[in-house]
Amino acid sequence: MIITPKELHNWVSTGRSFVAADIRPEEQRYHFPISGLEVIIATAENLPERKKESLVLICQFGVLTEELIVEKNLDNAYSLLGGVQSWEAFQTDNMDLSRWSRQTILPEIGMAGQRKLQDSKITIVGMGGLGCPAAQTLAASGVGNLQLIDGDVIELSNLHRQPLYNINDIGRSKVTVACKSLKKLNEKLTVIAEERTLDESNGQELLKDADVIIDATDNIKTRQVIDHISKTARIPMVYGGLYRFEGQVAVLNHNGGPGYEHIFTPDATGGDTCAEAGVLGMLPAIIGNIQALEAVKIIIGLKPNLSGKLLLYDGITHETNTINVGVNR
Amino acid sequence: MKVFVKCFSQVKYAVGTSELSLDLNSGATTADLETMIREKSAGTLDDVTLRIAVNKQYVSKPIPLDDGDEVAFIPPVQGG
Repeated sequence: MIITPKELHNWVSTGRSFVAADIRPEEQRYHFPISGLEVIIATAENLPERKKESLVLICQFGVLTEELIVEKNLDNAYSLLGGVQSWEAFQTDNMDLSRWSRQTILPEIGMAGQRKLQDSKITIVGMGGLGCPAAQTLAASGVGNLQLIDGDVIELSNLHRQPLYNINDIGRSKVTVACKSLKKLNEKLTVIAEERTLDESNGQELLKDADVIIDATDNIKTRQVIDHISKTARIPMVYGGLYRFEGQVAVLNHNGGPGYEHIFTPDATGGDTCAEAGVLGMLPAIIGNIQALEAVKIIIGLKPNLSGKLLLYDGITHETNTINVGVNR
Repeated sequence: MKVFVKCFSQVKYAVGTSELSLDLNSGATTADLETMIREKSAGTLDDVTLRIAVNKQYVSKPIPLDDGDEVAFIPPVQGG
């Protein structure tokens, strides 16, 4: 069993009887002391004796203790989810980030990165094949604020590639239904639904507060509108596009990097929509998730990202090509 | 000289293959190659913007090609 820092804090405050055992090595205990909790120093081989009390096992990230409980088949024993890392974060600001412990254990993310995600606002333009999977994983990953922009309603032909919607949602607003689905994934998420199509008349107002814009639209004209706003407002934009079994991703207008008009000329034409060209459901899921990954990397400052590059993915061969678009010859 | 051509998205379907190996006269440029690709497409790329990368690096104006170069033709895509 696991216990979250918030639940353990409640045990402490309500005076529940339990035994807490810190099984970390001495060096780790020295560098990352635990506060606000009385613990017994123990090892995996030598756990404290108890009568009927619950046992709470504590390690640095909550992984070793979970394994230990299973391995030793311990009864009435709890692993502190996220370990000392999550407990101390909770002590600092009362925010329980332990559900993201499998992310925060990554040194590149850590508690600092998770807090940046929590504080960030990502705007997704287009809640179709790319927007749905991007929103899904961004919400689950702990992004605190999402803004969804789309004026369309759900159609039967959307369902094979837009997993936030189901058969009972046909005819309903995409952004309204998406909000409800996303809140089920992460109840801490603040999500704003903008049930309208982004264009030149409303784009500036809709995008002004975003930290990152995800371009999940299905036409070049709207991409060009987003690109212009992204460039002038200096808000990075993660472009994604599909053609049959192929996808493209680029990070645009990031720290003065190239934008869409640079990658495909200001008067670019070509391509077909998914309705015209056809699309297999997995492809937008792959490309939308790459877009979400790049957005998260921008928020937490993880480099390198796809700024100055165009990623080309082929779903048939699984070949990827990364083209350097930043410096022209 | 021999160059290797990679055709992406609409270009792939327009010329019928994702990869081509072509023998070109010495001094041939990316513009010559683009003309060949557009001719192969039988008009289906007439309204399609094509960006060209040589050895995974965008080029913004025609440049002479070298033996062994890999030239990619990349159109914009709309789907989302």
